[in-house]
Amino acid sequence: MKRFRAYFLIAPTAALLFLFVILPYVTVLVMSFRAPADGQPYGQGFSIGGYTQFFRESYYAISLPQTLALGMATTFFCLLLGYPIALHIATASRKWRGLLYGIVLSPLLVGIVVRSYGWTILLGNSGVINSTLRDLGIITRPLPLMYNNFGVILALTHVFLPFMVLPLLSSLQSMDPAIAQAARSLGAKRLTIFRRITFPVSMPGVQAGCILVFVLAISSYVTPSLVGGMRVKTTTLLVIDALIDQFQWPFGSAMALILAVSAGIVVLVFARLTRMKWN
Amino acid sequence: MNFASLCLNTFRIMVYVFLLAPIAVVVLASLNAGNFLTFPPQGLSLRWFWTFLDNDIFINAILYSALLAASATSVSLVLGTMAALYYVRHAGRDAEWVRIGVLLPLILPEILTAIALLFFFYEIGVGTEHKIALFTGHVLMTLPFIFLNVNTSLQGRDGSVELAARTLGASRYTAFRRITLPLIAPGVSTGAVFAFIISFDTFGISFILKGTGSAPLPIQLFDYLRFNFTPEAAAVSTVSILLTLFLVVVSDLLFGRRI
Repeated sequence: MKRFRAYFLIAPTAALLFLFVILPYVTVLVMSFRAPADGQPYGQGFSIGGYTQFFRESYYAISLPQTLALGMATTFFCLLLGYPIALHIATASRKWRGLLYGIVLSPLLVGIVVRSYGWTILLGNSGVINSTLRDLGIITRPLPLMYNNFGVILALTHVFLPFMVLPLLSSLQSMDPAIAQAARSLGAKRLTIFRRITFPVSMPGVQAGCILVFVLAISSYVTPSLVGGMRVKTTTLLVIDALIDQFQWPFGSAMALILAVSAGIVVLVFARLTRMKWN
Repeated sequence: MNFASLCLNTFRIMVYVFLLAPIAVVVLASLNAGNFLTFPPQGLSLRWFWTFLDNDIFINAILYSALLAASATSVSLVLGTMAALYYVRHAGRDAEWVRIGVLLPLILPEILTAIALLFFFYEIGVGTEHKIALFTGHVLMTLPFIFLNVNTSLQGRDGSVELAARTLGASRYTAFRRITLPLIAPGVSTGAVFAFIISFDTFGISFILKGTGSAPLPIQLFDYLRFNFTPEAAAVSTVSILLTLFLVVVSDLLFGRRI
């Protein structure tokens, strides 16, 4: 009876998740196999036309490796920038930790549209960086900072950096400082301590952070469209275009699922590689 | 201090600047007196804030977003708190499954969840009418944040205090109201603030499920930015940054000390 009563606590949430997460995802899977139609989202019957169309037309097919590469580059730069920051916060004094933590979290509290907009102000042809360089006489023509992969990767790195730092921080904070002290008293150099103790201990955080940033980066829409100005075509942009603007639901769903499965494979390979190396 | 740590410190400072620069630049741009986003700014003024206050589209979008965030948060507040209580107190061996399940909306790509909801509501014949799909999406996006925060405040507290109260004759309801609720109050309130901000700022769900009629602020801002380059968008952004900051500071003053 007690157990039965406890189920009432979870029942509404379970129903919500089943109805509005599980069932809708099944709907996407079914939708990707529906037949296309003109003038309406989908037609009668089933087909695998959505999947073959994606690989047949190079305009779409080429976006997949480009999107995955974009995600990997963003993940790499987030790790490169995020690791020293996480280490810094984990070892900072109590007084500083709160402030630094606040700086890292602050971008999360500002909407993604506003953050991407900030980058367009910085990177535009008459933006802050180009204007300053021109006024200083360093350049005569604006540098191409926006509407290309460079700008999109830069902005994505900024947008998702907190998602790298947070898991890193939690794994670094779980480390017992006595281990590093012991290694130091036995004569280990700082670099050796980092290579042999700190980094292996933080490996779960590295894994979690990389996977999170990669998935978020390849499925982001706002940043590539504002900073990339529709000139950087990611698969996610093409999915939205097919679904919302062209009204081709089966094709859009097939594309979304191809991206999701490809991302899943990348994540699995990554998890496999990092595990083999460190355990 | 040797050369290596000097380099490392410089690098760290640069990353902190990198994190804050795009936000700072939006706030500075909103004070530009010129007609366009030029640098250096042509003098300082608040004129774009007045333009914004005269623009019904943005004012309505802010009010609409606030209403949506408040209603979605109040539903996920109840559901998320119940789920957290179940997870900590009753889940037992299924705990990991419950956690993954409730965090699903956070783990799955938001834009894919939005598309899935669009198809689902279309298939059951509701579509994006009456904003039901939009509201459901916002409840899903905010639920994990309530769950995570209430969990944190329940961690390390077993049910023994409630059990003691029950043994001394308190009814189930009284035990909840007098013991459990005060215990989880900091987590519930922090979670509510988090959830409100997430709903206020979320893009993917609102973009796909907005339907016709009024749209939340991030959508209006995005649509505006595609074709306009005046500092008005910066003024709108600054107002939304200030609103968020205000919420965080107020909640910290009200509840921060107790955690």
